[in-house]
Amino acid sequence: MENQPEVAVSPVAPQTETGPANVPSIWELVFFFGLIGLTSFGGGLTAYIRRLAVTQKGWLTDEEFFSALAIVQILPGARVVGISVYIGNHLRGLFGAFVALISIMTPPFILVCILGFLYFHFGENTDSKALLAGVTAVACGLMASMVFEAGQKAIKGIFDIVMIIMTFLLVRLGHMHVQYVILLLAPVAIWWHRPRPKMEAVGDQKKEEAR
Amino acid sequence: MIKTFGHLTAMFTILSVSAFGGGKVVLPTMQQQAVNQFHWMSNQQFVDLYGISIIDGPSMMVVTLVGLKACLEYGYLIAILGALVATVAMFLPSSILVLIVGRFWDKWHENPWHDSIQQAMMPISTGLILAAAWIITKHSIHSIPTAIMGLVALGLMLFTKLNPVIMIVAAAAISWAFLR
Repeated sequence: MENQPEVAVSPVAPQTETGPANVPSIWELVFFFGLIGLTSFGGGLTAYIRRLAVTQKGWLTDEEFFSALAIVQILPGARVVGISVYIGNHLRGLFGAFVALISIMTPPFILVCILGFLYFHFGENTDSKALLAGVTAVACGLMASMVFEAGQKAIKGIFDIVMIIMTFLLVRLGHMHVQYVILLLAPVAIWWHRPRPKMEAVGDQKKEEAR
Repeated sequence: MIKTFGHLTAMFTILSVSAFGGGKVVLPTMQQQAVNQFHWMSNQQFVDLYGISIIDGPSMMVVTLVGLKACLEYGYLIAILGALVATVAMFLPSSILVLIVGRFWDKWHENPWHDSIQQAMMPISTGLILAAAWIITKHSIHSIPTAIMGLVALGLMLFTKLNPVIMIVAAAAISWAFLR
């Protein structure tokens, strides 16, 4: 594929099959998640984390990121916090998870507390709404880009396209809760993608025959 | 004061582990408890606090402000402590859950089913992201300038390696300067 510059950036990246490609220091994690926490205005955050952790840093593969994202969404809690804790643990174990959680929560905690005090002191809403109008628009762009990038990795055949559409329809039109959609569709998808060395052999045979 | 801390801890711990599908699901319950059950704030205040909280961080930062308001009568220092208690109670339990499941998941790496599940989750995850992008777009693109900003961001993400931090800070600046 053309757009995989991350391989060139990190020499260890091709070996991603066996765990994180390059293990960052704890301070790198503090800086990474702190920066995200500090600039995570108005949603679209998962796309943002993916771009930095997968594309730029090469800490995880897309497969690892998106499957973790699905797992996080089955569990309760904020998606962004969940994926941060997962990445922290994936890279640096228990301490990494702890650092990720603290780092991503501290900047917004301080900011929100200050705004809260201002609100109770002056009794009026600040113009956070004006600030957010453009930011949420950009967040849309980030999310939409992730649809393309996830889709590129996800689609291996017609089945995957059907799954994408089914998931979308159940959530949007069926108004089904995310975790039920996952619990409903995941078994089907897992069965479809089940480990099957024999079937692959058959597939290869067919290819051979086709030649 | 201790009693308020206790209430905050109990309330948000329960909400934390029942927020299936993200934080927004428990928002009505939180409002009901903060306003009607514990009388920490008025309905309007809750709505205002939610409006403030979405400026930065994960979707459930409103809990920080609920903790802050609940303890505000005991002074500023206690209020910050209350905000901390509420935030920890809301985000720690669900994080521990993710940690446990995540560790189990990573340990499973050698298993052939690991790759199957990973591959199977990709299209589902893509569908969910599509749905999320759809919702954000519906709620936030309602003028030509915002539509242009969204499209520019999409283009920059797809065709350049620009850091999204720069995009977001630029968007905040543009928004503050022109869309007010």
